[in-house]
Amino acid sequence: MTERKDNRDDSFLPLDGQDDDALGLFFAAARAEPPQLGGDFLARIEAQALAEQPRSAAPIPVLPSRRPGRLAQLREALGGWVGVTGLATACAAGILIGISSPDSLSVFWGGDAAGLGTLGVDPLSGFDLALMEG
Amino acid sequence: MPFEAMSAAADEDLLADYAAGDASAARVLTQRLAPRVFSHAMRMLGGDRAEAEDVAQEALLRLWRAAPGWRRGEAKVSTWLYRVTANLCIDRIRRRRGGTDLDSVPEPVDEAPSAAEGLQQRARAEALQGALDTLPERQRQAVILRHIEGLPNPEIAEIMDIGPRAVESLVARGKRALEAALIGRRAELGYEDDD
Repeated sequence: MTERKDNRDDSFLPLDGQDDDALGLFFAAARAEPPQLGGDFLARIEAQALAEQPRSAAPIPVLPSRRPGRLAQLREALGGWVGVTGLATACAAGILIGISSPDSLSVFWGGDAAGLGTLGVDPLSGFDLALMEG
Repeated sequence: MPFEAMSAAADEDLLADYAAGDASAARVLTQRLAPRVFSHAMRMLGGDRAEAEDVAQEALLRLWRAAPGWRRGEAKVSTWLYRVTANLCIDRIRRRRGGTDLDSVPEPVDEAPSAAEGLQQRARAEALQGALDTLPERQRQAVILRHIEGLPNPEIAEIMDIGPRAVESLVARGKRALEAALIGRRAELGYEDDD
């Protein structure tokens, strides 16, 4: 195969080096007179590019609507935080009453006259015992 | 990325930024690629501005849509674009040829090349374009890519999906045909004046 002038393996040659033949001036003229873009065309291309652009690489995730947890459901059933607070107070008072000796609670009944000791509260009185034993 | 830094960034990096939603990358890519695509389309299509704009718009639209799935390192953005542009042009040339006699296609505006000083260059460019239009599409594409766009043979081979030797052959045949078409116009275009 005959070695041709334009078969050089010189990859990228703009052109000064390869235009030294009969066509060189024509190619040089073509490069010097590139087709001119209209300004509106560039604007159109840019608008198209923006219109086609993916909105964001990391789109804002849409969180699935979550069902409230069991504790939240219970809180809502009790009337919210206010209800829960009231219930907790009542429980604490109940425990206090339960573990206190009856005499120590006399203050709440309004004096000794109404004290549990005075009233003789007996959970298992002699009468009841006799009744149970027949 | 700042706009100035983007101007120096590689096409591939800009395309990744574009796919990530960076509007500045869209602008820089447009300014960088649209003139090249349009210019190549104009030369392939014999100076038909409206058709060249259509082709450039379509080629770039395909690039924007390919951006999210672009695989780095597989092909240069410009190589891919030249290929898409040339294929779109060749489709149009063939369609045009099927519907219309090539001889009946009007010459581009400003034909009448003037040999007057200062207009010689333009006249030569137009004469070359007229001669390029007579070449088969693949020869025309190879000559434009090599001698006007200034691309290396391996890249032209990739764009045209052929081997480098086939590129050389197409360019050589194309240049012979151009020489034959233009040789008679050298005096008319003031060729001797530049010697």
